[in-house]
This record gives sequence, C-alpha cells and structure tokens, in this order.
Amino acid sequence: METAFALTGKGYVLLAADTTAVHSIIKVKTDVDKIKELSPCLLMAYSGEPGDTVQFAEYIERNIRLYHIRNNFPLRPPSAASWIRRSLADSLRSRKPYSVNLLLGGYDTSTYMPHLYWMDYFGTLAEVPFAAHGYGSYFTLSLLDKYHDPEATVEEGIATLKRCIDEVSKRLVVSPARFKVKIVDKDGVREIEL
Amino acid sequence: MSIMQHNGGSVIAMVGKDCVAIASDLRLGVQSLSITSDFEKIFPVTDRLFVGLPGLATDVTTLREQFRYRVNMYTIKEEREIEPQTFAQLVSSTLYERRFGPYFIEPVMAGMQKTPAGGYAPFIAATDLIGCLNFAKDFVVAGTASEKLFGVAEGLWEPDLEAEDLFETISQTLLNALDRDAFSGWGAVVHVITKDKVITRKLKGRMD
Amino acid sequence: MARRYDSRTTIFSPEGRLYQIEYAMEAISHAGTVLGVLAKDGIVLAAEKKVTGKLLDLSGAKEGGYGGSGEKIFLLNSNVITGVAGITADANSLVNYSREAAQRHLYMYNEDIPVEMLAQRLCDLKQGYTQYGGLRPFGVSLLYAGHDVHFNFQLYHSDPSGNYSGWKATSIGANSGTAQSLLKQEYKEDITLEDAISLVLRVMSKTMDSTTLGSEKLEFATLTLDAEKRPKAKIYRPTEIDSLLRKHDLAKKEEDTEMKS
Repeated sequence: METAFALTGKGYVLLAADTTAVHSIIKVKTDVDKIKELSPCLLMAYSGEPGDTVQFAEYIERNIRLYHIRNNFPLRPPSAASWIRRSLADSLRSRKPYSVNLLLGGYDTSTYMPHLYWMDYFGTLAEVPFAAHGYGSYFTLSLLDKYHDPEATVEEGIATLKRCIDEVSKRLVVSPARFKVKIVDKDGVREIEL
Repeated sequence: MSIMQHNGGSVIAMVGKDCVAIASDLRLGVQSLSITSDFEKIFPVTDRLFVGLPGLATDVTTLREQFRYRVNMYTIKEEREIEPQTFAQLVSSTLYERRFGPYFIEPVMAGMQKTPAGGYAPFIAATDLIGCLNFAKDFVVAGTASEKLFGVAEGLWEPDLEAEDLFETISQTLLNALDRDAFSGWGAVVHVITKDKVITRKLKGRMD
Repeated sequence: MARRYDSRTTIFSPEGRLYQIEYAMEAISHAGTVLGVLAKDGIVLAAEKKVTGKLLDLSGAKEGGYGGSGEKIFLLNSNVITGVAGITADANSLVNYSREAAQRHLYMYNEDIPVEMLAQRLCDLKQGYTQYGGLRPFGVSLLYAGHDVHFNFQLYHSDPSGNYSGWKATSIGANSGTAQSLLKQEYKEDITLEDAISLVLRVMSKTMDSTTLGSEKLEFATLTLDAEKRPKAKIYRPTEIDSLLRKHDLAKKEEDTEMKS
C-alpha cells in the first residue's frame, strides 16, 4: 500500500516513497518514481488517487519551473509550499478536487536551512521535522518520534530511514517491495541507493 | 464525524480589567492521528488585536492569509490600524460571503478597542462558521473543546481580573478543558493584551 | 508633420518615434526631483515637493505615516518604498496598483514580493498603455527602493514607456541631469547609510530651486534592516526632516522661518 515518508537532518532532507503502481488488487509496476524534482533544491513526494497524482504533480512542476525561468531564481521552499497549498485549497472547493497528499522537502539557499512540509489534499500545511503519508505513517511516525535527530548526519539519517522501511515491510499487510530515496541539501537533489 | 472535528483545536478569549487574553492549543491532527504540536491558530492583526481561527486546518491558513491581505490594504490606504470592532465586521462579512459553502472556522477575536474618550476598552467577539457575531462581556470559546471550555470558564472567570490574574485564569481554564478533549492539546499558547503591550507565553501542558 | 502622429499613443511617427511617450517623459522633467542612493546597509530616498504654501493643510502628513501621507514618497509594501515624479494623479493610481500587486504576491506565496518583480508588474501595466489604443500613457517615473532575500537592497527606476533599470544612485524629475552628475562624482562603492543620507541631502540642496531646505519642500525616507533582519521602511515626518536637516547643517536659519504668531 502507498507509503511516503521524510525526515530532516543537519542541512538536508531525506524523502522516501514506495515505487508500486497498483490497479485494483494487481501490482502493475514496481519502478515508479513518486518523488519529483521541482527545482534545484526542492523535492516533492506525492501519493493519492491515481491519475490525480501525476496530473497535479506535473502541473506544480511546470509552474515552479516557469517561475524559475521568468525570474531567474527559483521559488524558495517556504514560498513554494504556500503556493502549492493554495493550489490544493482552491482545488478542494472546485467541481472536482485533486486527491493528492504531498511531502515537500527543500533546502533554502538564502537562509541555509532545510525545510520539510507535510501537506494533505485539503490543503493543510505544516512544517515538520519528520512526516509520513499513507498506512505506513502509523508505524513510521512513532519510530521517528523515538529515533529522529535534527542534528543527525546523512549516514545517521539514512539509518533511521532504513528502520522505518524495515518496519513498514514487516508490519504492513500489503507492503511495498521497493522504496526510492532522494536527498536534498546545499548541493541540490540526488537519489540514494539503499 | 463532523468536518469541524477533523483537525482538532480550540481557542478561548477572556476579558479582564483594562486587558484581554486569548489562548489556544497547538495540536494539528488528522482525526485521531497527531501531526504536529506547533500549529498556531492565533494570529496578530495589529499591535493590540489578535484573531484565533479554530476549525478545519486548511481554512485556518486560507482565512489567515485572506485577513492579512485585507487588513494590510486597509492599513496602508487608511494610514491607521484597523480597530477590533471594524475587524469583527470584516470577519463576519468574509465568512457570510461563503454562506452556502462555508469555511469551517469559528473565529474568536480579542483586542483593545479605542474609545471616543481616547482610552482603550477590552473587546472580545466570536462568530459561528457563517459569520454571526457574538460580542460577549466575559469570555468566548470555540473549537473541539468548546463545551468543556464553557464549563471550566463558567467556574473560574470573574470580572475585573488584572493582567497576571487573567493569564492564570485563562491558562487554567484552557489546560483543564484540553485534558478532557482528545482532539485538542499538545501544548498551548496564551496572549495577554493590554493597551500598550502584549505578553505571549507558551504552555507545556500534557504532551500526550 | 509630427502632429498627425501626436494624438495617438500607439502609432509610430515616420522617424520611428512614439510622441506621446516622449511628451510623458517631458511632463516628468518638470516635476519635483526625486533622488535615490543605494548604500550597503540601506537605501535613501528624497523628493522635492512642488505643491507648497502657507495655506496648504499638512495636518495629515504630521500624524499619518503608514503609507507616507505626503505627495511623493509612498510605502508600497513592507519591503519597498517608492518616490514618484510626474502627474500626481497618475502616480496615485500606480501606487495603488503596486500595493495590490504586492499584497497579491504575499497572498499567493506567503513572502514579500521581490523588488524587481514589483517593478516588472508595474512596467507591464505601463507598457500596455503604450500599445493599446485610445489611452494615454502614465505620466510618471518611479524610483523603487526595496529589499529582498535574493538580491538584498535594490534601487530601480521605471519610466512611462515601461522600461526599467537598476541603479546604485539615480534621480528623476527636474534637474535630474545635474543631480546625476553630482551623484556620479560623489558616489563611492560600499557607502554607508549615514554617508548616503548626507550625500542625498547635499545633492538635494544643490539641485532644488530654493536656497534653503525645509520639511515643507522636502520628503525623505530610508529603508534599512531591523534587529531581526527584516526590512524596515521609515518615511520621515516633517519634524523629523527638520531635525535631520539641522543635524546636517542644511536647515533654514532662525531668521528665515515663518513669523511666529
């Protein structure tokens, strides 16, 4: 079942999302990338209603890119989060709302601070040290309560992340086979092989 | 369950002697799952006016941004800060604009109102989710713990409390009501407003 | 020959000129001077007021101050102030437009509008009036003094055609040529705010028609950062301008002041 989670550390944010595409009771794909790179220092993990997710994520991706091209600088993570939140909040009261939940991880190059935002399809926005969506959140949030350290190095962060993935694999009824993990820090975004 | 209970959260405001206080919890949850313990629901409007927005969290942010837009335009055009009484009408009409598809928020306001004589008088008000104003002389409550808040406040509040006593009264009222409400809690914030200053304190409370 | 092409903003003359825009710029060159200087720790704006007189009611300017209740310097957003030169009525309309634009940005992105973006918003509007028929262009030039996290302190100038450019120190309005050459001589890189204030006042006193400076002829504002590194605009009130002038020894002498009642 769909699960995404993320945590901050000293100067970075780690995001992890499962890679399965599900249709009814069938797994149709196991290599889906559900973490978009919105700008040089901004990542977005998305989950929710199939169709809505990709449509909405691409809409956000293109608009963030357009802002970057028009102004020669990218939207900073807090501003991007606010703008995406407004898009979801407006959508909520439209004829057909998008059902998309997001985790937004970014590194603010003007204040040298990592930011992680938790957002649901209502347009509820909260800045958090760690976050999760989906059924996996019931296991991972309590794990992160215990093991999360905002001053952790990348290696320590990855170790905590692995604990979460292991727990989800162990306890969730239909657990995802693989997770894709990405990191964002002062050097930009990159994928991490576990 | 009602959409008003979806994220949880409560706000209370009280009148004192030449002061007012407004306080809220800090929880943001999704039904019974807690997401953060630093979700502020009370926002400054001017140096002596605060608005609390308990209800659906997405609307907390939406309304906060909308009120900020309108108050900023008011301030810059009028070249003076908005009065609590005026702001209350703004809140009311903003909510009633969405009469048949409302924001799920029950705002609470607390501030010091300028009097014709040149002094300041305590002002508190609350509205329902479609903007029906309630100007109270003692206290107003809203949010998932509102029933409990009514009960405790009814017992603890008395007229003409000084700023420090008002702080103690509102804090005890809120903390004791939060303990009986599963959807509010995880810390609290209290603002005590007098004519020339605001004292803001964070309370720990039960963090479970 | 030119007359046939004068009346419409949108029609090129045979020499490839847009006369209405040039006339608009002419209108500005008769307006009171506005001066801006970029310092490393802030920006200074000063403006010469043209509408003066004993009977003018200035009580609003004495007490107001949020948006700058004067004639020429206005607060556009918490991080941008502007000085305008040209047709005051047009300027008011532009000031209102940019305040709305800045608040819209704050609403959409939850951050103060970047200074250049605000200048762009206004220039898009001004450019529109040079192209779509039937209307005249705005007869206003503006200096924008602002701060954002991307490029720190910035000073921009925009004219009726919709062109804009960034400056370290510049001026618009009457005698702007003189003022600019004075600025060019005296401007130093990494100038401090204190030095910039004295530079602005000196240049202002040389370019203005009247021999002595006073709050009834001068508007003054600074933009700095407060203790929390947030931009803080200060539009001086008349009494503050007078005491600033006294400090810099540019104020009227006692005997020049108006008769005491």
